[in-house]
Amino acid sequence: MSEAGGGDWEENSPERLYVITGGRSGGSAPAELDLVTLIVARSGAKPGMQPEHAAIVQLCQSPLSVAEISAYLRFPVSVVTVLLGDLLADNRIVARAPIPPARLPDRALIEAVIDGLQKL
Amino acid sequence: MVREESSPGSGSPRSAASFVWLLPAALIAVATGVSVAMVEASARGPVAVAGGVSALVLAALGSEVARRGRVIAELRRTVTARDTALARRHAETAHLAGTLLPDAVQRLRKGEFPEDVLGSLTAPEEHQAVVRVVVDAVVAEEDLRESAQRAFVNIARRVQAIVHQQAQELRAMEDRHGHRPEVFGDLLRIDHGTALIGRLADSIAVLGGARPGRQWSRAVPLYSVLRGAMSRIIDYQRVELHSVTEVAVTGPAVEPLIHALAELLDNATRYSPPQTKVHLTAVDVQSGIAVEIEDGGVSMSEEARKRAERMLRQAQQGIDLNDLGETPRLGLAVVGRLAQAYGFQVSLRSSAYGGVRAVVVVPQELITTVAAASGLAHGIGASSVPRAAVPAASPAAPVPAQVPAPAPAERPATGPAVDAGGLPVVERTANGLPQRRRRQPLADPPQAAAAAPAASSGQASPTPAAPAPGQEPTPQVQPGMWLAAFQSGLSGEPNDASKGNSQR
Repeated sequence: MSEAGGGDWEENSPERLYVITGGRSGGSAPAELDLVTLIVARSGAKPGMQPEHAAIVQLCQSPLSVAEISAYLRFPVSVVTVLLGDLLADNRIVARAPIPPARLPDRALIEAVIDGLQKL
Repeated sequence: MVREESSPGSGSPRSAASFVWLLPAALIAVATGVSVAMVEASARGPVAVAGGVSALVLAALGSEVARRGRVIAELRRTVTARDTALARRHAETAHLAGTLLPDAVQRLRKGEFPEDVLGSLTAPEEHQAVVRVVVDAVVAEEDLRESAQRAFVNIARRVQAIVHQQAQELRAMEDRHGHRPEVFGDLLRIDHGTALIGRLADSIAVLGGARPGRQWSRAVPLYSVLRGAMSRIIDYQRVELHSVTEVAVTGPAVEPLIHALAELLDNATRYSPPQTKVHLTAVDVQSGIAVEIEDGGVSMSEEARKRAERMLRQAQQGIDLNDLGETPRLGLAVVGRLAQAYGFQVSLRSSAYGGVRAVVVVPQELITTVAAASGLAHGIGASSVPRAAVPAASPAAPVPAQVPAPAPAERPATGPAVDAGGLPVVERTANGLPQRRRRQPLADPPQAAAAAPAASSGQASPTPAAPAPGQEPTPQVQPGMWLAAFQSGLSGEPNDASKGNSQR
């Protein structure tokens, strides 16, 4: 009888991802949300929030990237993006693009310098 | 005359009465004797002859009449005896038809063994034979039905197994392609379709008399149960989940409750206009938890409501696949069946919104505290904090820009673990199970409030760093001062941690 119900199915929750996102796939999420966007919560979670929203707000008390949120919540990035889009629309979080890594001079210049040094 | 005398009597009166028939003959004989004495001598001979003959004839007649009388009496006696016997038989037959057979069939239906049923019969031999024949027929029929149901359940189980497998793979795929919204959207749609198939298979299994599907060993928060039910209907987007009391449903009751609610939600969304919402709430009541499903569709007429409730009742008494008819409306039958098996109380009423309000009362014994619930219920929480890898003092080193892709637990705890105030991100019980995080906000706002002035002091102007794109949708709330602190913390490497901590 229960052979179908065994295994690690129990590890999952009864709710599927599309219910959590309300059927949205993240395609229309704000464009600024990519994997490395930093998210910070504006305030604590409020009672009555969707648990996922509350979890994100809790996580983001200190800045956290979208990718990290996704990893901690064990949700695919698209789901997190949708949830973050909701929170953004509600002004509960702030998103910020990461600082771009310092731009290195291009290779040709470095090679030129090396050449010059070697010629010394 | 003879009979009347003889029937009640016995012994001497009877023997006296039995000679009454001789009386006329004796009278004639006496009369003959008198006549013979009175007539002239010449006529004596003929008179004596005539008198004697008539006396003899009378005697013969009398004896015959008496004999017939006796025969008639005899016959009456047998007839009354037969009548009573017949009446008794009739009563017995009525008993057989009205009591014995239904009882026997009833007991068989309840699952008693045919031998027990036959053995406990107290009835005449022939009736026992009749009952035996009927019992055999019923047993054969039940066997047939049972094997048909088993076949149904078997098929349903196989479908369920495939659906479960599929759902798991879909979840894996959703994780894998989570960063590509186009693919992800398609996967979600397939996932949804799979869940619908699963519900159908569950319904067939339930009607076949089996459990709905998978089993949960741990309790699951009611919120997840409700959303689990939502995830199994077509129009889940129209369901609005309102306040949900913070309890959990014990493991064995999870799946039946999800399934019953899914069927009721399906009814609600199906029979209400597509633009209306279906409201789903769960509140505490004296006897447990009442889950209400209210739609704004066409109101149920009293007759329709009665029919629906009758269907529920019927199902509770036991409905099976054979009773469903040509166009099976599985929903209420399934709900009734589950309600009966798990003690839910289901009622359908007219809603204040004009539609139907279905209330499922989950009894207290199937409810437990949230703390006992599986932390995985929301799919979040269990792994939100890598438990072993939380150095309590690890200061925020928020340079998460270097994180290219989700890489779960082995990463150092950069952000979330760091609630330096000692607040775990997700509350945990002593044995590591996460608790509901809704409680936390109550503790939080003061901190947030404290953070805001601290941050605002030196941050009238935004930092030179490019304003975050995230600001654009939210300009009116002055995100600057708050975000700026964070940004300066980011750009100034040496003191970022301390600053970040000082904000808290």
